[in-house]
Amino acid sequence: MKPFDIVIVGGGGAGLYAAMEAMKTNPGLNIAVLSKIYPNRSHTSAAQGGANAALANKAKDDTVEMHIFDTIKGSDYLADQDAVEVLCSEAPKIIRELDNMGTPWSRMDDKTIAQRPFGGAGRPRCCYCADKTGHTILQTLYEQCLRKGVIFFNEYFALDLSVDGSRSRGLIAMNIKTGKIEAFPAKTVIFATGGYAKMYWNRSSNAAGNTGDGQAITYRAGIPLKDMEFVQFHPTGLRKSGLLVTEGARGEGGYLTNALGERFMSRYAPEKMELGPRDLVSRSLETEILEGRGFDSPAGKYLHLDLRHLGADIIKSRLPQIREMCMYFEGVDPIDDPVPVRPTAHYSMGGIDTDNLGRTVMQGVYAAGECGCVSVHGANRLGGNSLLDILVFGRIAGRAAAEECQKFNPTSIPEGELAEKEHELRSFMQPKGHYERYGALREELGHTLGMNVGIFREASKIKLGIKEIESLKERFEHVRVFDTGDIYNTNLLQVLELKNMLDLAETVAAGALVREESRGSHTRTDFPTRNDEKWHKHTIYTMEGGHPKIGYKPVTMGRYELQERTY
Amino acid sequence: MSDSTIQHHEESRDVTFRVHRFNPQVDSKPYFDDYTIRLEKGITVLRAINYIKEHVDSSLTFRAFCQAGICGSCAMRINNMSKLACTTQVWDELDKAREPGVIKVEPLRNLPHIKDLVVEMDPLVGKMQKYSNWVDSKMPEEQWGKKEFLVSEEEFLAYDKATDCILCASCVSECTILRAHKEYVSPAVLLKSYRMNVDSRDAMHDQRLAGLVQDHGVWDCTHCYRCQETCVKNIPIMDAIHGIREDAYASRGSKDTSGARHAEAFMDDIEKKGKLVEATLPIRTNGVVWTLKNLLPMAVKMVIKRRTPPPPPLVKASKGIDALRKEFKEMTSHVGKDHEKKSGE
Repeated sequence: MKPFDIVIVGGGGAGLYAAMEAMKTNPGLNIAVLSKIYPNRSHTSAAQGGANAALANKAKDDTVEMHIFDTIKGSDYLADQDAVEVLCSEAPKIIRELDNMGTPWSRMDDKTIAQRPFGGAGRPRCCYCADKTGHTILQTLYEQCLRKGVIFFNEYFALDLSVDGSRSRGLIAMNIKTGKIEAFPAKTVIFATGGYAKMYWNRSSNAAGNTGDGQAITYRAGIPLKDMEFVQFHPTGLRKSGLLVTEGARGEGGYLTNALGERFMSRYAPEKMELGPRDLVSRSLETEILEGRGFDSPAGKYLHLDLRHLGADIIKSRLPQIREMCMYFEGVDPIDDPVPVRPTAHYSMGGIDTDNLGRTVMQGVYAAGECGCVSVHGANRLGGNSLLDILVFGRIAGRAAAEECQKFNPTSIPEGELAEKEHELRSFMQPKGHYERYGALREELGHTLGMNVGIFREASKIKLGIKEIESLKERFEHVRVFDTGDIYNTNLLQVLELKNMLDLAETVAAGALVREESRGSHTRTDFPTRNDEKWHKHTIYTMEGGHPKIGYKPVTMGRYELQERTY
Repeated sequence: MSDSTIQHHEESRDVTFRVHRFNPQVDSKPYFDDYTIRLEKGITVLRAINYIKEHVDSSLTFRAFCQAGICGSCAMRINNMSKLACTTQVWDELDKAREPGVIKVEPLRNLPHIKDLVVEMDPLVGKMQKYSNWVDSKMPEEQWGKKEFLVSEEEFLAYDKATDCILCASCVSECTILRAHKEYVSPAVLLKSYRMNVDSRDAMHDQRLAGLVQDHGVWDCTHCYRCQETCVKNIPIMDAIHGIREDAYASRGSKDTSGARHAEAFMDDIEKKGKLVEATLPIRTNGVVWTLKNLLPMAVKMVIKRRTPPPPPLVKASKGIDALRKEFKEMTSHVGKDHEKKSGE
């Protein structure tokens, strides 16, 4: 295949923005976007609530400074302050840019972009389109990429980076429709494959494919990961499916109540109540359940999200998709009944370690969005900052790659690497005396992570989790792929995704064990307070002998000193 | 039998999924596989076929991603209707099953087949490109990000519902025109085209419309309403199609295609007589030459079988034509008004 200047892996918000920006920066470049699904299916579409930007349309006194402070405080001071500054100061521009290219933002009476309150934010600064914000942003970006003639390789599964010493030669991927392994020699590769929270499987709100492919590929290629132990649990997953009810539901005024009928958030965040930051609200729900104030059902314990007082009109106009989901998946119409909810794994703060331009330690390799870790979310992400993150840093990475690729020589990928990969994949299909089913392993992985590396963590449980993950990795060696065909082999794909999740699960658990403090989403019952002296630093993971080796990196500070975090 | 056992029986039962199978690498033609599994009430079709893949037959192939009805990956035909597997309850489908306890699952129609329940989506993407399904901003790209457009509630509502479309292609699969002509623009692309054309921020309305009125475009729709009935997001797709037609008629008249002339001939007849003057309909739609060349043999056969429509002078105006004309005038008046309003802005 003809060598590329830029290959972007992933067609969600970050990948598509990177592609557009790279083309804008230098229209002469040979750019390709490769995605394992059609880009318009990407998980960006599931983001319901919105994107934060201090447009000051709703609260006239809102400022970028306040957005920066809220984000740093929300991160429990683990975010790099220079990166947060980039995120928040670019925000108004990027929201307007999306408006200029057709995103159907909801509007206020004065015809400007509407904004709603969101958790952990001092002002209503979350821009939205009803509760389909991510969906409409993704559609807009995909439409604009089609307009610009971006070259897409749809339904290609990324397998490996081809590495030559300290630089990348490009990507090896499988064409899902033919099963053929193909080389994508490229001067630069941008990973934008989304998060890894699906490793919690049935206790996750994520799409089936959010398996951390980009993180796993780069980790195996020797690129460090960062802050992997920080996984955000969203407070309001639907009881049965774990699917998400947007924070916008609370932003519009929804209540959380327990079996005693109390608005229990008054115990945990008397000021912000339901609109506390996600880590705190999730812990509050979990505590209510653990202390016996939850409801009981065959599908597990749960609490109530009560929207009834908002009235049918608000629910229908501002939360239509949520209403539909509650009816489809729980059989509950939020106009008439409270919605049964429990916390669900939702977002990965950790990811590929990058600088503020999305660069990794390896020449020519970039990462952006949930796949990367700049870090702007630190130990806990604020609602409305993830869409913003993918847009801002997707664009920055696209521009950086477009500028830097000119300095790099063209590359080629040795044929032998393809043959080797082919052989490796074929070996999954060999009959084995004793074999394992990937489905069972996947479920067990999610279960052990949920039980042992979930919202509340402690040393003995995490150790148990690590042991179980190790044993799952051993059993994975016996997994057999029964579909031996080449064409659209989803059996093989799901096995490869499981491998990625197993590798990353080890880093999540290892980080959770080593970080002996409680910060943001990471709560150690045996170390219940934040320990800035010892732990105000990022964890860095490199693969050694197939397992994670942990190192550290200082947090970039700025204007804001460490403070206790209360709401 | 106690109440609790009755309830127990209702809550869980054996269900057979009759699934369309075809792997072009090994099969010469498609066939059906039956999978019978025990399921609990409340489970979706997607979770059921996921269970089959994980526990019974790993080679069963389908697309699925978000599992929450927003990504559009898992559209398939379930009991002869295209819909999302992830938002479809097994128990609802059992009520609709032709054979008791058997749910039929097939790939979408009108798109090239790849394997089992997977179809090729590229033709749809190609049509989105062909019909410029994007906002071509009134603002030059160098200016982007500096200020937002002001959009009124009314302008927003014009495209709001259409932006619900998740491109699942269920409407494409059920479209009766696509069954006959794969080149037909397709309902999803018409919906998206409409959404772009009514967007006050868009600058290429006329050019997009000029593409939509060509052959295989908006005039080919036969108003069967299948797309709208099928839409998993309950989008009034036919309103969008009518919207494009009204827009096209108002700004371009009826000269574009035979479809447009056909529509106009209908309108004329209804206005004048309250019924169709069928004998001259082909001439007014496609011209004398085409009619003689293509319909003369059929006309001869009709004469022999004495099934010819009455000659035009014999088609008298219906009773109550005056009242009808009044209503007709009222119904058609908004088309012109809408158009004036748009061009006046």
